[in-house]
Amino acid sequence: MSHLLVTNLHKQFAGKPPTTAIDQLSFEIEEGEFVVLLGPSGCGKTTTLRCLAGLEKADAGTITLGGRTWFDSARRVALPPEKRNIGMVFQSYALWPHMTVRRNIGYPLRARRKKGQDAARWVEEAAALVGCQNLLDRYPAQLSGGQQQRVSLARSLVSRPDLILFDEPLSNLDAKLREDVRAQLHELHRRLRFTAVFVTHDQSEALALAERVAVMREGRFEQIGTPHEVFEHPATEYVADFIGLSVRLEATRTDGITRLAGVAADGRLPAPVRHGEFVLRARPDDLRIGPTAPALPTMTTVPVSIVDKVFGGRTIDVYVRLGEQRVHARIPVDDTYGWVRGLRAGDEVVLGFRPENVRAYASDGAAIVPDEALSPLGS
Amino acid sequence: MAVSTVTSSTPTGRLLTFTGRRIAAVAFVLPLAYLVLAPIFWLQLEALGDGASAYEAEFGRATMPETLISTAWLACGSLAIAMVLGTLLAWSATLLPPRLRFMRILPIFPMILPLVSQVLGWIFLLSPGPGYLNAVLRRLPWWSGLTGGPVDVYSLPWIVIITGVSLTSFVYLFVSAGFQNINSELIESAHVSGSSGIGVFLRVILPIIRPQLLYGAAVALLIGLGQFTVPLLLGRTNGVRVITTEIFMALYGRQPQDPAAAAAIGSPLLVVGVAVVLIQRFLLGNSSRFVTHGGKGFRPVRRSSVLPAVFIGTYLLLSTVAPLVGLVIVALSPYWTSTVVPDALSLDNFRTLFAEPNLVDAIWTSIWVSFLAVCICLPIGFVASSLLLRAKDMPVLRGVLDVLIALPLGVPAVVFGVGFLLTYSREPFFLYGTNWVILVVYVTIMLPFTTRMHMSGMAALGDAYLEASRVCGAGPLRTNLQIVLPLLRGSVGGAAALMFVLLTHEFTASLLVRSTDVQVMGTILYDTFTNGYYPLVASIALIMTVVTFAGAALALLVGGAGTLEDL
Repeated sequence: MSHLLVTNLHKQFAGKPPTTAIDQLSFEIEEGEFVVLLGPSGCGKTTTLRCLAGLEKADAGTITLGGRTWFDSARRVALPPEKRNIGMVFQSYALWPHMTVRRNIGYPLRARRKKGQDAARWVEEAAALVGCQNLLDRYPAQLSGGQQQRVSLARSLVSRPDLILFDEPLSNLDAKLREDVRAQLHELHRRLRFTAVFVTHDQSEALALAERVAVMREGRFEQIGTPHEVFEHPATEYVADFIGLSVRLEATRTDGITRLAGVAADGRLPAPVRHGEFVLRARPDDLRIGPTAPALPTMTTVPVSIVDKVFGGRTIDVYVRLGEQRVHARIPVDDTYGWVRGLRAGDEVVLGFRPENVRAYASDGAAIVPDEALSPLGS
Repeated sequence: MAVSTVTSSTPTGRLLTFTGRRIAAVAFVLPLAYLVLAPIFWLQLEALGDGASAYEAEFGRATMPETLISTAWLACGSLAIAMVLGTLLAWSATLLPPRLRFMRILPIFPMILPLVSQVLGWIFLLSPGPGYLNAVLRRLPWWSGLTGGPVDVYSLPWIVIITGVSLTSFVYLFVSAGFQNINSELIESAHVSGSSGIGVFLRVILPIIRPQLLYGAAVALLIGLGQFTVPLLLGRTNGVRVITTEIFMALYGRQPQDPAAAAAIGSPLLVVGVAVVLIQRFLLGNSSRFVTHGGKGFRPVRRSSVLPAVFIGTYLLLSTVAPLVGLVIVALSPYWTSTVVPDALSLDNFRTLFAEPNLVDAIWTSIWVSFLAVCICLPIGFVASSLLLRAKDMPVLRGVLDVLIALPLGVPAVVFGVGFLLTYSREPFFLYGTNWVILVVYVTIMLPFTTRMHMSGMAALGDAYLEASRVCGAGPLRTNLQIVLPLLRGSVGGAAALMFVLLTHEFTASLLVRSTDVQVMGTILYDTFTNGYYPLVASIALIMTVVTFAGAALALLVGGAGTLEDL
């Protein structure tokens, strides 16, 4: 049986017009699993998290954990947060400024009436887990952002809750620190196997931390799967866009000629021939440029002209014009670098990609499953 | 353990908890509703009694048009003075050089000085005959022929000026708060775009703080309309009447007392007050929006100079120091004449004062009733602001509470005072003639202050600290006791001391509900004033000032420098 079970959760916010924050959402989370809710702002991920915490009350649906009902609109059950045995890490850390780190971390134990030697030892252990054992007698104001977030993590872990919720906990940290804390969190989960729901809008965070990623859109799960599944096989164009396949090319097949953004292309595409109109999605990193089509063997190619190029260290960002459209390609700095560097705006070149690296979507956004052998461009 | 909790959360159990919360909230609001609405109810019932004949009698009186015109002059004139002075002071405060930053708090001082003391001080300085300043002015060659004047503090223009100067502090508070919330980059970008200092002030800063300006103006207008102390003490000599003094005279200047007349005369003020409260509520929504959030505030690009400091210093001198000096001289003199005899100065007046048991009693009554009222108001303010800010599942109750809390601020104290008198001199709560009536009145008029101050503290606290506590397993009680209260300690302490200050210089409402045996500092001061024994009046006013300043110092000590701005 699943650990956390959510069925038909629904939540609307009043307003003109009312907005649906959570739309008939159902999902399960196994014990010890780390699930990330990923989506842009306003997709309902934080509201979902707050409903799990009991900080927000859904209009309908049920939430149960380990067979115990947390929320059931039909039975009018809504346990307050303090009855749910959870931990939560806030974006703003929410460490109480009038308490020392020790008292902050110990608070969940005191609130749950755990006292004495054991409680003190648990606090020490939790602090040690996040490497804060030498900060215990300081006040939050004396800590850096990264330290505060680690204390906040310790506070959420200390009472060994059934579920830990993370509300964009890394977004207030600078880039370098974010990766450190992220790696620490990953390691901590590997060791402790707590059940976690983590909300973020950062895809790299989601891919790094999650055992399963749920990409949310308008209060629903657009796709839920392992990071690998979501990364390699985005179920819809929306997911593809959000997960980094930012290049969008409209493809048409007429009279045996396939056009990308209105320009005739040469090679194979990952869509069966019966599809006359569809959309291709690619990552800029998977695009290459060459002087002519034969210079890019095994690739599907289309003629383009250079607009601009930007040096980025290990890569070079090349912007090309394809028909009326601007396309971004990120070229690794390797043996073609000399040639790329010599390019000028207006130069005519060829843009290419391996057909297995791009994804095709029908006009309704659903993924098109490619044939076993990728179909040639001509019929 | 998990199983047992499931059984405790059966549907009915949950339902009861929610209903229980609602019942508790209603049980909290009902007594407040009685405190606020019963006086207004009895007041209107009295005014409408006998076929509403009191309206016809009072508003048909030959002196009434002049009274209304004087009232309008008082309200509009003092508003204009306060708006200009207050805005200029606030702007000056932002231009202070760093080492003079402390001066930002000075324009608030007149609020600490009891208004009665301020007015008495001005009488001692500018009374046409023995006023000290007038005596000095008469030494000037072009006024040397005068026997009285040149300034007549008892005339309408000077009533307007003194009211305006005292209202300036309120406007200053609102406008400064507005300045605090302006992002400095907005100002800097206007300068970079080529605007001069004046241009930035007129085209960027004033439009941005328009909401605060309007709100400050509305508050100042209400206070000006309901202003009682200044016209009562200054207007009677030359027969300058305004609505508020007419209300008082209908009760205490006629035989027999005419409460119907008082209620009828008060009706326009009541209507305006209630209308302003309701308009504010429905146009601008929840009052939590008006809680200002502490920001970094903006630093003007202009070079700081000493000129603003001089301006602020002059304001402090004229509004606070000068009247205090007048008070001190008279309090130390055996009698009040236009010349000061240094050798005759002594503390005799204070000895006389402390030998009078009823004077000493009044001082003690003031202090302990104020203290008790503060103790009652603090938990009320805490609960009320919690409900207003957080009880999102009870919108109707919150709306009602919001209006109830605002009414004692919107309806002038003198009008409320008549209502109090009518309410507590009848069953079921016949409190007239006891100290309890003062206590109940003080609690009622402090409702807006205690709630607003708690709200600004709670709003600044944000939700995350509370939510963190709840998810850590703490219930609402523990969250409030261990998280909210300790974090609000500064605001609560500041609120307590400030309410104590406001109550010890309460004058208007006390004057209406007191009786011979029930006196506070303000009422005993008024009696001594009408009996004409000025040195004793000055001594009482000084004692009142000292008590108030002690309270204010405590407020600053406990709540920090920002406390006064929470008002």
